[in-house]
Amino acid sequence: MKLSELAEKTGLKSLNEFKDLEIEGVYISDMVSDIITGATANGLLVTLQTHKSLIAAANLVDVAAVVFVRGKKPADDVIQLATKAGIGLFVIDIDTWSFAMKLSELGIK
Amino acid sequence: MNTCNHKWSMTNIRNGYLVVEGCHRCKARTSFFSLETVPPIDDYQEGQHFWTYLGSFQAVKFDLSCSQCSKVVSLDDMMGLMLSTCRAPDCEVARLSAEGGKGTWVYVALCADSTHNSGKCVSDAGIQALTEYFNANLKDPGKRIVVVPCRMCKSIDTCEGIVIADAGLTDIY
Repeated sequence: MKLSELAEKTGLKSLNEFKDLEIEGVYISDMVSDIITGATANGLLVTLQTHKSLIAAANLVDVAAVVFVRGKKPADDVIQLATKAGIGLFVIDIDTWSFAMKLSELGIK
Repeated sequence: MNTCNHKWSMTNIRNGYLVVEGCHRCKARTSFFSLETVPPIDDYQEGQHFWTYLGSFQAVKFDLSCSQCSKVVSLDDMMGLMLSTCRAPDCEVARLSAEGGKGTWVYVALCADSTHNSGKCVSDAGIQALTEYFNANLKDPGKRIVVVPCRMCKSIDTCEGIVIADAGLTDIY
């Protein structure tokens, strides 16, 4: 499923310009060091963590987009770094579990 | 001569704590990875250094193994990775970033000893394997990862960058 379609179907709000890539997987983590070992290229990363180091980790493994749950919004410099790295940023008000359920219902694993 | 076109994957992934210590005499910093449930906080003397606990945070360590030739590269000497944002005119890492241009991202592999007085840093084999591993897994054709050892920084204590670390994650604000 394309990122734009996923955003529309789950109610994600975009925080920057994003490449409309085919999402190839999902990883949920709030530990930036764990992201390096678990997240994959063109995948979706779901997290509560809004620190800039999250983008440094996501960029290293070529994540397509990051979804911040519970309405967490990163600072402007985090958004700027993600945009430079070509990583789409999205926010959604619901919690991680509820968002994971939505992804599962859409057949995204 | 090894002619294997390595296909790296992560192995020996272990969860623990990165413990950071400082010497109050010479202001040096050191760090080590602890697998203990509660990270050690004891002060101790080691040669001329008097190490004092400065902090710890959750961390994940790994090694790299090649699925083709079974070679394993230990990354025990790497304590973390830092995305370089350094612009110092006399820093080799900053020069690499500038020369690489758009799409090139330089990550500094951090060793345990910020002074490098021991002459040790992250091994060349580790740096090469990390570079090959991360680039092999990229899908964006316009992106390139360059991994360099922290000895290349003019001063690792002043070099600007974003450390991939879970510092503060468990703090309550």
